Amino acid sequence: MKPANQIRQWVSGVGAVAVTALILSGAAPGLAQESESVSVSAPMVKGTLPVDDPNAAIWSTAKPAKFPMSPQVHWPNRILETTVKDLSVRALHDGTQVAVLLEYADPTEDPDDAAAIEFMVGDKKAHFAHGQPMAQVEGGPVNIWYWKNKDKKGVDMNAMGFGTLKIQTHQDVKATGAFSNGTWKVVFTRPLATEHTAEDTQLIPGGFINIAFAVWDGRKDGAGDLVEKGSQKAVSSWWYFRAEAPPDYSGYYYAAFAAALALGFQFVLIRKLKKGQAA
Amino acid sequence: MGGSLAKPVLLILAMYAFLKFVVPNLPGSAPLPSSLIFLYLMLTTTGIVVFKTLSRESKDAFFAPILNFLTGENIGAMSAARYGFLILFPLLVGWQTYGSTATSDAPPAENRTIHPAPPGEYTGLSNPVSKTPENIMQGKGFYAAFCSPCHGGKFDGKGPAARGFNPPPANFSDPTTIAMLQESYLFWRIKKGGVGLPIEGMPWKSAMPRWEVELPDEWIWKIIMGEYDGAHQSPRTWE
Repeated sequence: MKPANQIRQWVSGVGAVAVTALILSGAAPGLAQESESVSVSAPMVKGTLPVDDPNAAIWSTAKPAKFPMSPQVHWPNRILETTVKDLSVRALHDGTQVAVLLEYADPTEDPDDAAAIEFMVGDKKAHFAHGQPMAQVEGGPVNIWYWKNKDKKGVDMNAMGFGTLKIQTHQDVKATGAFSNGTWKVVFTRPLATEHTAEDTQLIPGGFINIAFAVWDGRKDGAGDLVEKGSQKAVSSWWYFRAEAPPDYSGYYYAAFAAALALGFQFVLIRKLKKGQAA
Repeated sequence: MGGSLAKPVLLILAMYAFLKFVVPNLPGSAPLPSSLIFLYLMLTTTGIVVFKTLSRESKDAFFAPILNFLTGENIGAMSAARYGFLILFPLLVGWQTYGSTATSDAPPAENRTIHPAPPGEYTGLSNPVSKTPENIMQGKGFYAAFCSPCHGGKFDGKGPAARGFNPPPANFSDPTTIAMLQESYLFWRIKKGGVGLPIEGMPWKSAMPRWEVELPDEWIWKIIMGEYDGAHQSPRTWE
């Protein structure tokens, strides 16, 4: 064979393989793109959840999600500057309970330092500001898990707009905080599912649910009044939360079956083509 | 095998390179999604196959090298490439299947309409406040007091309170925001705020206050004039 022919064959052969790869990979999902945090992912752990230990080593197994915070400006009384600018969130679950760790910088420990997590409840969307009523959309309630330093406990609440905050008669949320070196670490825990589906958000492993955060710096001004209180707080937008489902290997099984099927198809096709050429 | 396949292969590769690397760099263009590139490559491939099968001679000339490649007949140095293809094809099918069946870690996609249609009663309203320098100046003052914490003193959507909000406050100096809208649209958005949006506007995510509970209509109209003037934009008109 002439060298020129050989080169041409190589170009055609390698090109055909590359084109096939291009076409097939075009149909495959794109590579995961790096993006800023939009979701908190709670991996499932074996053993005991660190429900009352914000400094437990196991927290490092959960990937932190970082969310920017803004002053609450949506509704009076608003505030235009807050202490906390960013919030780091980690979460873990054990199939029964979920633990969420909030971590943020605060120069001083104050009795009125407080933090909260907010979820939508049920299928109806709710405005991120306490489930404010919306003009053209029928909204649902929000479920708020609240912690204040001086109270040393978690509080389970609901709201459908500012001024409607109501403490639930059944308290499922626990919370504990630890302050060290200008950083608060606050852990909230609750069973993934509860019996009170109308008030409590239900965290189904594998499913995404909206989550938002609020933080109050409990410092006081020169007159002795709290600077951040009530609706005057740092808030986040709605983001997503997901308790990870147990590992699902079905994708690998389907892939192996499809590859075996393609291999069999190749085998049958080539055999038939060879028979045709021999005839 | 050779010449009859080399051209189509090079054509498809060139098409891929054009779509992937050239189109995104054209003025006003953007990177094409992989699904669209795939569609264009399939159309190109279909066109080539149709062209090559117009006559029996061209069809045989087109398919013969493919059949030889697949069966391994008289392909000489191409054997290694053939085995590579036979191994790669099932693996790619498996990969594609995994990608379409494996559980996704991505949150649900959100398709927000940035400028949803306003309710009928707000369509076509004209600004009742006369456009005098005094009123514009007063509007800028109201803007500084009520709007700039989020929308920014430079009307660029980068106010000190903006960073945590998603969607971010509108950048009025961007020609795709208020310059595309009529004053009546802004009146509706300022008056009713985020919670006044229809479902496609995702009212549950907007931090825009419902200013009708705090500001008189006249102030809102003045703020609108101040915004346009400060951002160096003009309201959209139908004339």
